[in-house]
Amino acid sequence: MDVNDTQGNGPDEEPTVEGPQAPPGEPAPKRLTRSRGDRVVGGVCGGLGRYFNVDPLLFRIGAVALVFLGGAGILLYLAALLLVPNEDQAAPIAPGAQGRNRALVVAAVVVLLIVAWPFLLFGGALFAGIGIPLALLVGAGVLVWWLVSGEGPSGSAGDIARRAALGVAVVIGCFVLFLVAGFGAAAGPDWLIPALVVAAGGAIAAGAFLKPVRWLVPPALTIALAAGVVAAADIDFDGGIGQREYRPGSSVDLRDHYDVGIGQLVVDLRETDLPKGDVPLDLDVGIGEAHVIVPDDVCVATDADVGMGNVALFGRDHGGVDVAYEDAPDAKPTTTRLLLHADVGMGQVRVNDSRGELYFDEHEFGPFHDDDPDLTPAQPAACVTG
Amino acid sequence: MRARPDIPALVAGLAVLALGGVLLLDSLDAIDLTFAVFAPVACAVAGAILVANGLSRER
Repeated sequence: MDVNDTQGNGPDEEPTVEGPQAPPGEPAPKRLTRSRGDRVVGGVCGGLGRYFNVDPLLFRIGAVALVFLGGAGILLYLAALLLVPNEDQAAPIAPGAQGRNRALVVAAVVVLLIVAWPFLLFGGALFAGIGIPLALLVGAGVLVWWLVSGEGPSGSAGDIARRAALGVAVVIGCFVLFLVAGFGAAAGPDWLIPALVVAAGGAIAAGAFLKPVRWLVPPALTIALAAGVVAAADIDFDGGIGQREYRPGSSVDLRDHYDVGIGQLVVDLRETDLPKGDVPLDLDVGIGEAHVIVPDDVCVATDADVGMGNVALFGRDHGGVDVAYEDAPDAKPTTTRLLLHADVGMGQVRVNDSRGELYFDEHEFGPFHDDDPDLTPAQPAACVTG
Repeated sequence: MRARPDIPALVAGLAVLALGGVLLLDSLDAIDLTFAVFAPVACAVAGAILVANGLSRER
């Protein structure tokens, strides 16, 4: 945008207040204002480009670069958003104030840069760790409110802050609804939440002919998303919540099925007197970890399904979504083979022997951890290899 | 009764209805829903709603 456009001569621009009429022959005093016509977020870079008569794109690139170099861009942009008025709200300036205004802007920029510089040098990562998620949250809030209400990111800083706050409130409300709906889908009857989604869809469609109920779309989508995640991960909360640890003494004490809704399920078979041949074991965890510890002389055949998470089998890690891992080695004669079937919605299936316990104690191990063949223990020697 | 239906609301309603139908089929064990299926379906539903909303605003 050209500087002359600020005089209100642009074909699609609102007239702007630029102060009292300048005497004939003298240019009107320039003011730093946030641009109405050339804005991506708040019009700060557009206004700076017009003020300094350079392409606003340069300021935008600089602002984005500063965001990723410690978050100073966010600080400066927020300060400009609060301090610099919109071009249609700029108060007239007195003659002679132009120099003072420019000096104030330069001083403010210098002070902000001095304040931001230590963050860039020493605390960049820390500042970015707080600033970037905060900026993303505010940005998401503005975007969500824009989508929900149709009110875009325009107006004064107060208007933008209000819309961002309302948008963040919608995001938080949807998150709470997501959790509640997810719990309902996992704990209640399978058909209940899907039926609610169908009913909401029908109400929205019928409302299009009678009285639109667009406000129902975000909660309906949130509930559907929660139910979809629960269904895709095959999560159910049978078995309750908490940590369950089982150490059966003999095969008589060993149940063929263990389950936990949310939490950790540990089946420690190191002290169990297992019979020779195949021994079935079925584990079901909604969200959490299913952990089996076997004696060193037992071979394990694994059939594991994980909706979202990983299978760590004797230190070998297989992670992602829709994980279906199957490993069915033969056992050596006169040894025990554990036929493990594990079903985890979100979380981890972990199988190891006593060597693995030492390994896990000494090495940090978690989802999606890179394997190290030199360190990770292999399938027990009770299995037939090759 | 409105003279003309609110198209974005109609598209959103039908999209949510379709998504609910997929979930209902899974709950009745008619299909086996996985993330590989659900993720594209959810994105398509969200995309259809956004496109319908955007097109209605351009008019």
